[in-house]
Amino acid sequence: MHILFDQAELSYGPVVALKPLSLSLRENRIGVIGLNGSGKTSFARLVNGLAKPSRGKVTLDGLDTVADEKAVMAATGFIFQNPGHQIILPVIRDDIALGPRSRGLKGRELEERVETVLARFGLVELASRRPHELSGGQLQLAALAAVVVNRPKLILFDEPTNQLDLRNRALVKAAIDGLQEQAIVISHDLDLVRDFGRVLVFHEGALVFDGEGPAAIARYREIAAC
Amino acid sequence: MLTGLHVTGNTAMHRLPAGPKLAALALASLVLFFVHSALPLALAVILTGTLYLRLGLSVGEALRRVRPVLITICLFGLLNVVLVSPLEALSSTLRLLAILFFAATVTTTTSIADFMAVLTRLLLPLERLGVVKASDVGLAVGLVLRFVPEIAARHATLREAHRARGVPVKLHRLLGPLIISTLKDADSIAEAIDARGIRGH
Repeated sequence: MHILFDQAELSYGPVVALKPLSLSLRENRIGVIGLNGSGKTSFARLVNGLAKPSRGKVTLDGLDTVADEKAVMAATGFIFQNPGHQIILPVIRDDIALGPRSRGLKGRELEERVETVLARFGLVELASRRPHELSGGQLQLAALAAVVVNRPKLILFDEPTNQLDLRNRALVKAAIDGLQEQAIVISHDLDLVRDFGRVLVFHEGALVFDGEGPAAIARYREIAAC
Repeated sequence: MLTGLHVTGNTAMHRLPAGPKLAALALASLVLFFVHSALPLALAVILTGTLYLRLGLSVGEALRRVRPVLITICLFGLLNVVLVSPLEALSSTLRLLAILFFAATVTTTTSIADFMAVLTRLLLPLERLGVVKASDVGLAVGLVLRFVPEIAARHATLREAHRARGVPVKLHRLLGPLIISTLKDADSIAEAIDARGIRGH
C-alpha cells in the first residue's frame, strides 16, 4: 500500500503526540524505533485510522483514514502490545473465525479460511485452547492469525516481541519474516528491524531519521545515549 | 459457565446445531415444571445424566464441572424437606437435576461462537424494530465469558501484591485498582474490536 502522511499531526489538547509529518511509504517492511513516548504508537494509530489526525491527513492507496475509515480498517490489521486484549472469544479457533464471520463469511468457506490460517501459523494443535493456556509467543501468533484471516494488505505490529523469551521471540520473528503482507513494525527489539529496508526513528514526537536499518539503529543509539 | 464447560468432540450432541439444542433445553425445562410425579422425573434424571456422561468425559470430570450447582441443588433439596413434604422436595430436586444435566450436556457440546450466533439470530426481530443491534449483544455475551476469568485472575494478582507488601488484604483497597485496570483494559479491547473490524459490517 502507498501510505502518505500530508502534514499530519496528532495532539491531545495541548499535548502534541506527533508533530506535523509528511512522509511517503511503499516498502514491504518498515521499522519504527524510538524511546518511550517518542510518537511511535501515535504514528501507527494514525496509519490505520485508530487515531484521527488533528491537522493534515493520512491516506492509504488514496483512501483517507477519516473519510474512508471503514475501508482503511478493512485493508489494515493491527497487533497490539498486549495480544491478550485483542483475542475476544474464549477459544482460539472461534476467535479467528470471528472477523470473517462478521464480514458475512460462513459454512465451508469460513471453515476452510480458518483452517488455512491455523495451519499457516502452526496453531492447529492449539485451536481448541483458551488464551490463558497459551505462551506469550503463541498468543502473539493467535492474534496475528486473527488479523491475517481477514486478508489485510498492511499489518501494523506494536512491539510484538515485548516481554517474550528468546524462543517465543524467534517464533514471532519467523512469523513476521514469513508474511507476504506489507508490515510496519514498532519495536524496541532492534534486531527485529535491523534488516528492514526502511526504518523510521522518532524522538519527542518528530521523525528524526529515515533510512536503512543499521544507520537508523546507530542514530537511535545516539539519541538514547544523550 | 460456558467458557469452562465447552469441550470439543464429535458425539451426536456435538454435531447437532446449537439452535435446536437450546430450543430443546428451553422446552424440556418448561415441560419438567409441569411434571410433579417423582417417577417420570427420576427417569428424566437418568436419561439426561446418561446423555451427559456419554460425551466422553470421565465421571469425575463430569461431576467436577457441575459440582457448584449440584451442591446448591442438594442444599435446596434439604431445605425443601423442612419447608414442604419430603415427596415434593424429592420431585423438585429431581426436576432441577434433570435440567442441570441437560444444560450441562448442551453447554459441553456448544461453542461460544455457536451460542453467540443463535443469540444474534434470536434478537434479529428486535434489531428490525430498532431496539438493539443483534450482533452487538452476541459480542457482549462473548466478551463477558472471555474476560470474567481475566478479571478474577487480576483480582488474585492484586491480592498477592498486597500480601507480598505485607499489607492486609481488604476488599475496599482492592476495588479501586481492580476497577481502574479493568476500565483501562476495556479501552484497549474496544480499540481492538474496532481495529479487527468486528462491528459495523
